[in-house]
Amino acid sequence: MTMFSFSKLEYLWLTLLAIILFNTLLGENVESTALVSILVALTVMYKGLIVIDHFMELKDANKYLRRMMRIYFIFFPSLIILSAFF
Amino acid sequence: MDTSPINSSLGIFPSSWSEKRAGRIPGNIPIWVGILSELTEFGIFFIAYFVAKYNYPEAFSEGPQSLSTITGVANTVVLISSSYFMAKAMANIRKNNLKGCEKFLWLAFFSGCLYLCFKTWEFHWNDVQGFSTNSSPFFTVYYYMTFNHFLHVGWAACAILWVIFRLKKGAYSAENNSGMEALAVYWHMIDLMWILIFPLLYVLR
Repeated sequence: MTMFSFSKLEYLWLTLLAIILFNTLLGENVESTALVSILVALTVMYKGLIVIDHFMELKDANKYLRRMMRIYFIFFPSLIILSAFF
Repeated sequence: MDTSPINSSLGIFPSSWSEKRAGRIPGNIPIWVGILSELTEFGIFFIAYFVAKYNYPEAFSEGPQSLSTITGVANTVVLISSSYFMAKAMANIRKNNLKGCEKFLWLAFFSGCLYLCFKTWEFHWNDVQGFSTNSSPFFTVYYYMTFNHFLHVGWAACAILWVIFRLKKGAYSAENNSGMEALAVYWHMIDLMWILIFPLLYVLR
């Protein structure tokens, strides 16, 4: 019988699912404030960087592609933070 | 001078460029041209979202409350899981475990199909509630973004079927899997776009 063993991918998958639930609870139960927007933006950024580095496997791959993808996922969540103040 | 197959066949890189120095390209260069084009397209959608939200703050405050949040969450869970299945498929092909690879590709495919079913139901639900592309600026942006994303999931799911067919024909192995890896990075890109779309349309008020 083969036992299911938890590897890094499983932990990352569960982390991403936990962040989704956290974001949803935040959006549904907490009054919309700049702080909520900042928290959501930071978690979106974190989720994106996990997928880019570990699912797309860019962490140890082409540095230009990784840089472009990371800038994309820092730029748009930053606009969420910016939009909270305007 | 670099004489790597990629550089010599395409001839679009400066002579100083080498894959060894810049790092490995997951999949192949053509799929990355496609991915960067898609990122630009979605980037324009995101800019349009922020411009519209700035000009119509009330519509964007009320809009998310009119949507089915539970369907949005379900779709996010399904897409994140499909990305995980795709990563597992790649891990299996690298071990030459063709059966395991096929199993995870099917799981990724069914997750994609589940997403399409949920999204179709959500569009129907919106229709029953009386929402359409013209209901408000929020819904115009919502339909532009989500229908476009829906199409991407649809054709990428068809690509998974093609990769499963090729896998069964023996086209991929631990040594030769760049075609499958190209699909995997494209699929992850689609997941990434949803990671941004979900909070913009369902969470933030």
